[in-house]
Amino acid sequence: MNINYLANLSLYIPEIMVIFTLVGLLFIEATYSEEEKGRKLFFGVMTVGLVLALLALVKNLGVPPASIFTNAVIIDPFSTIVKILMVAGTLFTIYLGQQSRDIYSNMKAEFALMAIGVLVGGMLLASANNMLTTYIGVETLSILSYVMATLKKNDDRSSEAGIKYVLYGGVASGMMVFGISHIFGVFGSIQFVEIYPLIKDLSSLQMAILIPSFIFFFVGLGYKIACVPFHMWAPDVYEGSPLPVTTFFAIVPKMAGMAILLRVTMIFFGPENTVMHVSWVGVLQVVAALTMIVGNVSAIAQKSVKRMLAYSSIGQAGFMLLGVVVIDDIGVSAVLFYMITYLFMTLVAFFITSFVADKYGNDHFERFSGLGFRYPLMGVVMAVVMFSLTGVPPFAGFIAKFNIFYAAINQKLYTLVLIGGLTSVISFYFYVKVIRFMFFTPAESEEKIGGFGYINQGLITALAVPVLFLGIFWSGLITKIVHSKLFFVQ
Amino acid sequence: MMGLASYLIISTILFICGVIAILARKNIIAILLGLELILNASALNFVAYTRFLNNSIDGHIFSLFIIVIAAAEAAVALAIVLRFYQIRETVHIDDATQLQG
Repeated sequence: MNINYLANLSLYIPEIMVIFTLVGLLFIEATYSEEEKGRKLFFGVMTVGLVLALLALVKNLGVPPASIFTNAVIIDPFSTIVKILMVAGTLFTIYLGQQSRDIYSNMKAEFALMAIGVLVGGMLLASANNMLTTYIGVETLSILSYVMATLKKNDDRSSEAGIKYVLYGGVASGMMVFGISHIFGVFGSIQFVEIYPLIKDLSSLQMAILIPSFIFFFVGLGYKIACVPFHMWAPDVYEGSPLPVTTFFAIVPKMAGMAILLRVTMIFFGPENTVMHVSWVGVLQVVAALTMIVGNVSAIAQKSVKRMLAYSSIGQAGFMLLGVVVIDDIGVSAVLFYMITYLFMTLVAFFITSFVADKYGNDHFERFSGLGFRYPLMGVVMAVVMFSLTGVPPFAGFIAKFNIFYAAINQKLYTLVLIGGLTSVISFYFYVKVIRFMFFTPAESEEKIGGFGYINQGLITALAVPVLFLGIFWSGLITKIVHSKLFFVQ
Repeated sequence: MMGLASYLIISTILFICGVIAILARKNIIAILLGLELILNASALNFVAYTRFLNNSIDGHIFSLFIIVIAAAEAAVALAIVLRFYQIRETVHIDDATQLQG
C-alpha cells in the first residue's frame, strides 16, 4: 500500500512542481521584495518552475492512464492536455502582467503568485475524480480569483468587480456543495466510479432528490465557465479587473470548468437513455443554445473592446458546450481542439488590446484607429485572430467550429448547429468592427505605443502562428487526438 | 427519537433561510451571512447522511473541508468588502453600479 502510494506520486510530479514553485516564490517575495535583484530572481524561478512543470506534463502524456490517491485524482491524456494548456496560458499571462501598466509595479509579484495558485486549483479540477476534489478545485480556483479581481486596490471599479465576483461565486459554490451533499446521500459515495453504475436504475423518490441536486451541482460548474443563466458576473468582472487578470480569467478558470463539466457529463451520462440522462442533456442543450445567443448578441452593442471580448468569450464557451452536449469521443476531441485554438486566439487578442489600452488609458474601439498602418504586423495579426474567432477559413477557428458542428450533426443536434451557425454570422459584425477601425479609419495620433517593442511584437506574432498553422495543417493534430483514448474511468 | 428526516428538514430550512437572505437583503455583510447558512446546511446534510445511512468516513471528511473552505472564503470576502467600504463608504449592494454595459 505504502509503495503504491509513492509510485502514485511520480504521476503527480507536474502539480508538485507547480506547488513547490508557488512556495519558493512566496519565500523569495517575502525576503527580497524591495530589491531589483529579487525581482529578477522571482521571475527567473517562476519561469523555470512552470517550464519544468510543462515538460513533466508532456512526459505524462505518454504514460498509461491511472487513477491515484485512492481514486481521488485521475491522470489521463485528456486532463494532461488541459493542464498543458492551462500552464502555458498562465506563463504567458504572467509575462503580460509584467509588461502591462494595468498592474501596479508593486503588485506584479502578487499577480504571479495568485495566478499560480489559481493554476494549482485548475490542475486539481482538470483531473478530479471524486466530488471532494471537484469541490476543493472549484474553491481554490474561485477564492484566489476573487483576490485577483480586486488587484487594483484603490480603484473603485476593481473593488466592485471583486464584490460582484465574490457574491456570485460564493452563492454558486454554496449551491453546488448543497447539491453534492444530496448526491452523496442518495448514492452513499463521493467517488465518480462508484456513482455511475448506480445512476442507471433509480427509484422515483431517488430521482426526485437527484434531479434538483444535479441542477444545483451544475450551477457551480456553470458559473465557472460563465454559461448563460449564470453569466451575469462575467462582463462586469472582466471589465473591472485589470487587463492581464481578465486574460487570465478568460483562459484558466474557463478551461478547468469546461474540463470538469465534460468529465462529469461523460462519466455519469453516457449513452444510456434514462430519465437522468435526458434531463441533464436537456438542461445542457438549452444552456448551450442560450449561451451562444446571449454571448454573441450582447457583444454587438459594446463600446469597449475588453467588454466585447468578455461577451465573445461567453459565446465561445457556448460553442464548447455544444461539443460537450454531444457526449461521445468525437465531441471530446472537438472540444479539446477548440480549447487549443481558443488559448492562442484569446492570448493574442488580449495582448494587443492590453498594450493599446496601456497607451491611451481605455480600450474603446476608437483607440484601434489606424493601428493597421502604424504597426502593420500587429494589425495583420489582430485581423487574423479576429477572423479566426469568427470562424472564417482558412484559420484555426474555422476548423475548431467545423469539428464541433460535425460532432453535433453526427448526433442529429440540427437545431443547435443552426443556432451556432447563425450566431457565428452575428459575431462577424463585432469582430470585423475591430478590423474596420484598424484599417479604414485614420489614426488619432502618431505617438508610439510603448508596449509594441520588438520582443513583444515577436512574441505576439509567434503566438498567432499556431492560429494560421492549425488552420491549414490541422489533420495531423486532430487524428492524433481522435485516436488516443482520452478518457479513462477506473 | 431524532431520525434522518428531522436533520434533513432542519438543513432544508437553513438552506431556504440562506437563499432568502441572499435575495432579500441589500447589505453585503448580510448576504455573506446567508452564504454561510447555505454552507452549514450542506455540512449538516453530510454528517446526517453519514450517521444514518452508511458508515464510510467520506461524509465526515467532506464536512470538515466545507468548514475550512467556508472560513477561507469568508476571510477573503470580508477583506474585499472592507476595500469596497474604504473606497465607497457604503456596504449597500445597490451602490455597486459603476460597471454596467
